[in-house]
Amino acid sequence: MIEYLENFFSIKPPEAKLEEIIFELNRRYPEGKDPWGLDLKIAKKSLQILYPFYSNYFKVRIFGEEKIKDKPYMIISNHSGQVAIDALLISMAFSLEISPSRLLRPMVDRFVVGLPFFGEWSAQTGAVLGDRQNCMKLMEKKESILVFPEGLKGITKNTSEFYKLQEFTDGFYRLALSSGYEIVPITLIGCEEFFPFVYHLKSLAKSLGLPALPLMPNLFPLPSPVDIYIGDPISLPKNLSPDAPDKEIKIHVNEIKRKMASMIKKGLKNQRTFWSNKGN
Amino acid sequence: MLEFENINSILIVGAAGNLAKLLTEKIQGQYPHIKITGVDSRKISKLSPRENIHYINMEYTRGNFEKIFRENSFDCVYLLGRFAHIGLSPLKSLINQLGSQISGIKNLLDLCPKFKVKKIIVLSSYHVYGAFSDNPHFINEETPLKADLAHPEVRDVVEMDKIAAIWKNSHPEVETTILRPCNLIGPRIQNAITKYLRLKNAPVPIDYNPNIQFIHELDFLDILMMAVTKLPPDIYNVASDEFISLREAKKLVGLPTIPIPLFLFMPATKFLKKTLWSIPDYLVDYIKFPCIIDNSKLKKAAGDLSFKHSIRESLKNL
Repeated sequence: MIEYLENFFSIKPPEAKLEEIIFELNRRYPEGKDPWGLDLKIAKKSLQILYPFYSNYFKVRIFGEEKIKDKPYMIISNHSGQVAIDALLISMAFSLEISPSRLLRPMVDRFVVGLPFFGEWSAQTGAVLGDRQNCMKLMEKKESILVFPEGLKGITKNTSEFYKLQEFTDGFYRLALSSGYEIVPITLIGCEEFFPFVYHLKSLAKSLGLPALPLMPNLFPLPSPVDIYIGDPISLPKNLSPDAPDKEIKIHVNEIKRKMASMIKKGLKNQRTFWSNKGN
Repeated sequence: MLEFENINSILIVGAAGNLAKLLTEKIQGQYPHIKITGVDSRKISKLSPRENIHYINMEYTRGNFEKIFRENSFDCVYLLGRFAHIGLSPLKSLINQLGSQISGIKNLLDLCPKFKVKKIIVLSSYHVYGAFSDNPHFINEETPLKADLAHPEVRDVVEMDKIAAIWKNSHPEVETTILRPCNLIGPRIQNAITKYLRLKNAPVPIDYNPNIQFIHELDFLDILMMAVTKLPPDIYNVASDEFISLREAKKLVGLPTIPIPLFLFMPATKFLKKTLWSIPDYLVDYIKFPCIIDNSKLKKAAGDLSFKHSIRESLKNL
């Protein structure tokens, strides 16, 4: 067992790739830090430590990486898996497998920011409190943003709701309109199976002031293989104001949601079994 | 816009404070023709009397102020001190002092147009925004002032800022500028944050490490001067583009710290306030939570804004 764990944690990203990533991240963040708490040293170290989980535990595959060019994007994704491992895997994919490498800035819930140790670590690795002002400032600095338009409802689903997209908020679309960013929809397949049997005690969570209170038999995520599908970048209409009425924005938001639902449907057809290898 | 060459007389309220002393020296050094009148309700000590500097130790009453305004034709007023120093007072005293603060600033401001003052510079603080776990980064000047919701002891600063902001809009004939600087530090500044930074074995959160902005006392003096000559009357956050994490700041100062979990931070500092850690309650929140201000408005108004002292250098020399 100890030997297995030693072998597991000794898995490293390919040396040449790692050097390329470090070079690119040093170029992007010459000071190594930013006001939101990013700490490049810790972000790089975390990438290396978590790589065995990314590569050999969740066996992440990425499809459509060639669609991402050397410019900032607003990445939007379905939210799944009860805990925000999906955000971590997407961020790692954009650092490890997309060229040029970049640190995505996931917009996270207030609850996450306030968690002891984890809140600090998430900020050091790039996460930022999901607030309109933060998002605008990050976009002014040409950072790529990761947004989950379903919000908490997406990640706190019961088993019966797995892979069903929840209602999208439209704030991300207004922010993209304000900044001129292209939106890239991505979908993750495999995260819902981390915790395959879940029931949320919604009323109790509310009365305790918690964002969610899931009941599930396993407390550690199961090794479900994860596929990340990158959709085509969506250019935004030039004549639509960021302050347009909800119904005008909603048309475009629902169109994106439909595209993502279709991507999920296709992805599920190719979903790997639990113990499959990376290639099948 | 005023030029110091054309200014004959300046009033500095809160003249006993170290920042006011530094400002007085700077103005006198560069523009010896300007007559400076410094007033404070506290005892003004360690000041070398000069021909063109007059200090008045007095109670802040309308009558006293009116007399000073009548006898001096001030071109410019720097409001650098509080009218009532609330500190850690009990509630009843706090209410009385807050009353003095509100009426004091209103009275002083009302005297300015009456006696043809051209420019007022009000020193507020970034503390007025409040430190909360869900603060966005880069708080701009339009953000609501919420500090007093959590800590009544900073209500005087919040009220002063609010009154000055309202007054400014209703008296366009007097150019009024409100400055909300980030943490002022420097060898001569004695405020809550410099005391915390100089505190041996000070507590720092073990599980959280917020970024903090600092500005050196001499850089802020430049801004105080610039507020008269260059900045259009308005409200400005004052900070450089630099920031530093709390733990790194304490490390640069070079004193040992005691790491404690965030949830114990407030109870521990409250419990040990009178013995080990003399840290005001409100400051604990600014250590616990982020409160980064947006300096873009100041940069736009100032044009070529540059700071001579880096945060790291300032902390090393604290």
